[in-house]
Amino acid sequence: MARHRKACPVCEQGIRTIDYKDERRLSRFITERGKILPRRISGMCARHQRQVGSAIKRARYLALLPYIAGSES
Amino acid sequence: MRNYEAVYIFDSALEEEAVNEKLDRYHKLVADDSEGEVTAVDHWGRRQLAYAIEDHQNGYYVVTHFNTEAGRLPEFERLLKLDDDLLRYLIVVNEGDLSTSPAPAPEEGGDDDEEDS
Repeated sequence: MARHRKACPVCEQGIRTIDYKDERRLSRFITERGKILPRRISGMCARHQRQVGSAIKRARYLALLPYIAGSES
Repeated sequence: MRNYEAVYIFDSALEEEAVNEKLDRYHKLVADDSEGEVTAVDHWGRRQLAYAIEDHQNGYYVVTHFNTEAGRLPEFERLLKLDDDLLRYLIVVNEGDLSTSPAPAPEEGGDDDEEDS
């Protein structure tokens, strides 16, 4: 069953640079647990997956995004 | 000379005046006399942190852009690390067109608890 690949959501929007401070946009690419979505689900091209990945990691360091979400003790 | 972007997270107990004073001090290190220049300063103000840093739930965010010689950064960072009121900082090379302003439509009070359904 050959499904053809969805277009990369970042390419489609035509965003030039991915801003690690824009946690609203980045939050589309994390699970409810705060994990980075794998490429098979995010549908991003290699380049943008990589850029979004590092942006999320920077945002985590700055406490804009959680490292682990949804586990309030 | 390169263009850098720095994000500082200060202790939210700090008054804005004290924050400005500290920023002035930092900026003197990256941009004094003829070299270097601070091109943008943007106060995001108090925001809720996504997780507690040293038991703080809130932080005072400031984003700045500046041009400076790479050789100045080690000394600059050393001073930042010594500052107890600075919870976190991040300095990155500004490649492209990063904006200093916070993400669009920031909610007041920072109530971002969507993950807890």
